[in-house]
Amino acid sequence: MTELLQVSNITAGYGDGPAILDGAHLTVEPGKVHCIIGPNGAGKSTLMKAICGMLTIRKGDVLFNGKRLNGMRPDQILREGICFVPQERALFPKMTVRENLRMGGFILDDKKELERRIEGILERFPILRERADQHAGTMSGGQQQTLAMARTLIIKPTIVMLDEPSLGLAPKIVQEMFDIMKMMSAEGVTVLLVEQNALMGLKNSDWGVVLDLGRTLFEGPAATVLADPRIQELYLGGKKAA
Amino acid sequence: MADILQILILGLALGGVIALMGSGLSLVFGVMRIVNLAHPSLIIGGAYVTYWAFKMTGLDPIVMLPVASLIMAAIGVLLYRLMFERETKSAKYSEMTVLLTFALAMMVEGLLGGLFTNTQRVVSPEYATDAFFIGDLFIPKGQLYAGIVSLIIIGGLSLFLKYSRLGYAIRATTQNREAAELLGVNVNFICILAFAIGIGLAGAAGSLVSFVFSFFPAKHWEWIAMLMSVVVLGGMGSILGTVVAALLLSVIAAFVGTWIGATWSTLTFFLALFLILLVRPQGLFGEKPEMA
Amino acid sequence: MAVTLDQSSASAVVEARRAHNEKLARKADQTRATWFPLAVMAILIALPLLQFTGNYNYLLHMVLFTASYVAMASGWNILGGFAGYISLGHAVFFAIGGYFSGMILARYGISTIITAPLAGLLAAVVGYLIGMVTLKVRGPSFIISSIALLMIARILFDNWELIGGANGVTLPVNDLSVQWAKVPYYYAMLAIAAFTVWASYKIKHSKFGLGLRAISKDEIKAESAGIDTRFYKVMAFALSAFFVGMAGAVWGEYLTYLRPNIFLVILVSANLVLMSILGGKGTVAGPVIGAILIVALNELFVATMGASEINILGTGMVMAAGLMFFPLGLVGTLARKGKLPRVLNWD
Repeated sequence: MTELLQVSNITAGYGDGPAILDGAHLTVEPGKVHCIIGPNGAGKSTLMKAICGMLTIRKGDVLFNGKRLNGMRPDQILREGICFVPQERALFPKMTVRENLRMGGFILDDKKELERRIEGILERFPILRERADQHAGTMSGGQQQTLAMARTLIIKPTIVMLDEPSLGLAPKIVQEMFDIMKMMSAEGVTVLLVEQNALMGLKNSDWGVVLDLGRTLFEGPAATVLADPRIQELYLGGKKAA
Repeated sequence: MADILQILILGLALGGVIALMGSGLSLVFGVMRIVNLAHPSLIIGGAYVTYWAFKMTGLDPIVMLPVASLIMAAIGVLLYRLMFERETKSAKYSEMTVLLTFALAMMVEGLLGGLFTNTQRVVSPEYATDAFFIGDLFIPKGQLYAGIVSLIIIGGLSLFLKYSRLGYAIRATTQNREAAELLGVNVNFICILAFAIGIGLAGAAGSLVSFVFSFFPAKHWEWIAMLMSVVVLGGMGSILGTVVAALLLSVIAAFVGTWIGATWSTLTFFLALFLILLVRPQGLFGEKPEMA
Repeated sequence: MAVTLDQSSASAVVEARRAHNEKLARKADQTRATWFPLAVMAILIALPLLQFTGNYNYLLHMVLFTASYVAMASGWNILGGFAGYISLGHAVFFAIGGYFSGMILARYGISTIITAPLAGLLAAVVGYLIGMVTLKVRGPSFIISSIALLMIARILFDNWELIGGANGVTLPVNDLSVQWAKVPYYYAMLAIAAFTVWASYKIKHSKFGLGLRAISKDEIKAESAGIDTRFYKVMAFALSAFFVGMAGAVWGEYLTYLRPNIFLVILVSANLVLMSILGGKGTVAGPVIGAILIVALNELFVATMGASEINILGTGMVMAAGLMFFPLGLVGTLARKGKLPRVLNWD
């Protein structure tokens, strides 16, 4: 068994509302980039929120290295090494870049170690060092997304989940974001992302997952998903059904 | 010229106290998005605690301040858990909390009226009626001390928010609640803490108010619009903004009071509130018009 | 202001919705019991006949008092319930109505019952002007601005010598015998209350009322659907001020004096909010039920405990409990559960 995270047949929804996810499953293998695609309202973001503990899972299981995650609080799941970056960057706009990074290590108790890691991050992302004392809200979209992704690395996570990291960014910048993801995965961080631009997402991933109507329809190597004619027709904006 | 300086000094000293009165309100709004209409009534609660201690034991109001503050903070925790925690999932949360705090204000007023009657009270330590004289200028000691203590407390609060771990968590929750939760902040605990600090600040302000103004249970209605104008002008949630707005409006009110008439000085605050809401609802320091 | 839908598919949707609405309306018609409010009115109209048999002034006073709050709460509900803009400053219109008609009575001896509609009109005009300004903001900002409005008005009234300042004005007492002195005001207030409830029903079922409810649900969507939200809101403000102003006019003469600390207190505003919420915000029957409940409760507090502090404490507690446990109010909660008695289904 090589899977790192195993989501099996979960049902989840907001509050007392209807189930958004109903029968979603997912297998995450270590070190790879996984891309979840599907139309609006398919439950992609909901799936991520369910994994990271922001939503109560009504049925089914989330196993991480064989340990059950459902029922745990977001901070407990974070301590397990699963980091989630929601849509719209999730930064603190009126905190400086450095303060944002410090918040990234909120669960770390060793202050000196935290400062050391922040230095490490600033070393690797020169643009962030340049802006270290600037308010995050004043940076460009690409810089903000870079910060949001870099911030996850502070706690040396096992899995990083990104919800639409390319949202609102220019195509050239989007490619930079994918490059950062590849770098993360090369370092052994497993990446799970939701992507509206399915074609672009799959091309930059190892593993593809198609989610629709709260269910997982298809899981497989990204190249296979890309090549499947049915998926091309329905989800990749290929030939329209007659 | 000396006149203008005199008015300025009086306005600034009072502005310091008003800043402290508003800072808790601002903090509670910033973190929890609760417009706490009961805040002034809780300040009066703090004033009565101080008054009672002074009357019983002659304890100096400034010495009593930490105690009053702690008592009110504990009450704050209780109120948050009883009334507001359950509302966080309500669809019309902000509107709901405004009405709930309004109801709370009435409850506090009624309770204080029942306990202490509606007579006007004032705590009178010796310095409350004394003053420093510098040439032609006089500086009332009570207002001066109260203003200084206020600014010290606000300074401490700012340092706490800026540098401590909990301060980081509070600021992070204010700016992006979801992100803070995802980074491991126990948001519910932070809300309780911030509410407790906010009401604790009301208690502290109450101790100072007790010898600066005369008070009675229904007095808080006069203060709510005054404090709201300060907090809204400062950009809801910004402590620095609250301080600047308090000093500014208080000085303007002092000039209006001297040159036009005492009754019109409070009108300064209400008119300011009206104008700000219409012209720049996000206030001086706020960036997004979240309230609008 | 007209709703424009140019997509061809939209008309089909609109048709289907219309058919559905008509079905619902038919269903509502079957369940509505119009006889009930009419019967209550008949009894109330006949009530003063009791004066022939003895002194029932207290009873008349209670009905009159309740009727005044029925009118004001129902008026408040047009803005606060239908459009969703909660105002804590409506005491201002109560004062405007009271002072306008009261001053005419004091100067020219014309009864407020005659000038009440004019007082309402003046309140509506003032409401319209204020609404033009304050309705630019919504949510908590609007609530705060309404409190500021009340505070400003209080300072102005307290210092306006022409209308007696903080001491107010004493109004002439009518020369009817004690037995019959209350009766003219009784009928006037009853008429105002009945008119307000009827108008509230008519507004709720008009296109205007539909627009207001759309605003309360989602103002941005309402606007993009072609509703002139600005005009709708301001009109709702003016209308709600109108009814509160009329009630204020008659109340002044009945009380025989005008004073800022009677008319311009936040407790009056709070009562309107409380009654509407407790009864059921946004429903026609809600404010009526709420007014009856709160007046009864107030009377109970005052009768059993006497002190006004306890009254304030009690009002606050009832309000908090109502908000926390019955946010939809009595009528709203029962209606949601499908258990609303037919006699109370006025919507």
